[in-house]
Amino acid sequence: MANIGITTTVPVEIILAAENVPVDLNNVFITDKEANRLVEGAEDAGYPRNICGWIKGLYSVVVERGNIDTVLAVTQGDCSNTHALMETLQLVGVETIPFAYPFDRDYDLLKLQMDKLITALKTDWEQVMAVKKRLDGVRSKIAEMDRLTWQENLVSGWDNHLFQVSCSDFNGNVNEFEQDIDQFLLKTKSANEFTEDIRLGYIGVPPIFNDLYSHFEKMGARVVFNEVQRQFAMPYQVEDLVEQYRLYTYPYGVFQRIEDIKGEIEKRNLDGIVHYVQSFCFRQIEDMIFREKLDIPILTIEGDKPGKLDARTKLRMDSFLEMLR
Amino acid sequence: MFCGIDLGSRSVKLVIMDQEGVNRSEIFETVQFYRNYGQPGKNGLIVDFASVGVGEFDKVVATGYGRNTINIVGATVIAELKAHVIGAMWQTGLNNFTLLDLGGQDSKVIKVRKGKMVDFATNDKCAASTGRYLENMATVLGISLAELSSYKENPVELSATCAIFGESELIGRIVEGYSVPELAAGVNYTIFKRIKPMLHSLASEVIVFTGGVALGKAIGQTISSELGVEVVVPKYPQLNGAIGCGVYSWEKRG
Ligand code: SF4
Repeated sequence: MANIGITTTVPVEIILAAENVPVDLNNVFITDKEANRLVEGAEDAGYPRNICGWIKGLYSVVVERGNIDTVLAVTQGDCSNTHALMETLQLVGVETIPFAYPFDRDYDLLKLQMDKLITALKTDWEQVMAVKKRLDGVRSKIAEMDRLTWQENLVSGWDNHLFQVSCSDFNGNVNEFEQDIDQFLLKTKSANEFTEDIRLGYIGVPPIFNDLYSHFEKMGARVVFNEVQRQFAMPYQVEDLVEQYRLYTYPYGVFQRIEDIKGEIEKRNLDGIVHYVQSFCFRQIEDMIFREKLDIPILTIEGDKPGKLDARTKLRMDSFLEMLR
Repeated sequence: MFCGIDLGSRSVKLVIMDQEGVNRSEIFETVQFYRNYGQPGKNGLIVDFASVGVGEFDKVVATGYGRNTINIVGATVIAELKAHVIGAMWQTGLNNFTLLDLGGQDSKVIKVRKGKMVDFATNDKCAASTGRYLENMATVLGISLAELSSYKENPVELSATCAIFGESELIGRIVEGYSVPELAAGVNYTIFKRIKPMLHSLASEVIVFTGGVALGKAIGQTISSELGVEVVVPKYPQLNGAIGCGVYSWEKRG
């Protein structure tokens, strides 16, 4: 049993089928008490100041926390910084396995990537499909939690974020994770309805800030749609695993994401969208596409280092809500 | 009489006004203001209005960076962008325009339609198009801010990606032998270049230009000629946010 670090959502079924433990390095980084120090650690090692904080955090998690055996790095479909991240990890002796989402969603190419991963991790399709069945059950509970968020107003935007984002690695233990969601759903049955008047959607990579959701709630708004997080949780249940990862919007072009977002704006009755962008991230460029294609007020906020929201960002959030009222 | 206060990051603007107009106004340096008239209380900042010496008033409305961090005891606090929109509408009588506010550290562009804010942009982590940048540049050139902001002909090419590094770039140009008017025009032009993309995406035919930077002529004229729009600078550009607070006292509009 090895700990396999992942840099974003990958076909986790394969890691689990090979009886390895998936560890989403992002989650380890952002929940670390010293997340900021991890970023500085990478800078001390020579990472440039003007590179995204997530990449630096991931680097330090692997190098400093020391319990990752192999890193499964997504070299296409996530972030080109991951290439250099892999290389700097190789430089310090970490074993890495590349995985690439084909840009054009080509079925055969994606299947081939999965086949190669299956071979590399020494498992087979039969075991992988057995894990998929198991995960389908858990994923449907997460989908229910999501429904309770927007349709019944019983789940906070933060909890919605947290459960969905954790579906990249199921916190390394599917059984425990399922117990957590079961308990959460049970508790939610008797929860009070949220009554905030403004309904927001959150799009973009997960926030590096830790108080974004609570600040919105303090200001009388709530997030009822977490775009990328929901994609990590793969809400569409399909038989075919390759198809499942083809439907998953995040690693491909932005236009498929826009179709998904448009549908949810309607369905969830959103008043506005918050587009989170990471400093120095190439995805910032896509902001202009969202603004052009989505017919709804959009607030773009930018985060750099882990921690709390700064005064300027709060001011902008505040003004945005004022504008929607 | 109503009191409006705009707690900016570099200066605190205070007006005493009613429906008839502005009766008194004061501008303080922010740190001085807190040091001389403020006292931390249990529920926020207690301002000693008696010693500020602006006379009697019925109500205080405040805005500015304080909104999330500082609470003035006894004051109604409104969102900063809202205060600026209300101030600009009251000062100009317009309902459809784009507000450009360039202050000490902040740049704001707000699109207003039918008297409502419909979109906005603010500068994030850079002060290169603000008053602070202009002050630094004026110091380097050894001229007053008022003089600096009057030049617009033959601007020297400057990239000025940073309010601080702009200084060394300017010094380099001085060494190359450009005249002060050309250098000053270059400085003003960099401000235009920085805000141009924001004005483009939030365009209107009329731009209401406020904030301390609007006191200088050159930038407004450049915006008008380059973008082909009408630029309106209201009577009190620097006090616009504080005036918005004052107007809110009796209008209570959103
Ligand atoms: S936030 Fe952007 S730059 Fe950073 S890792 Fe993600 S995709 Fe790459």
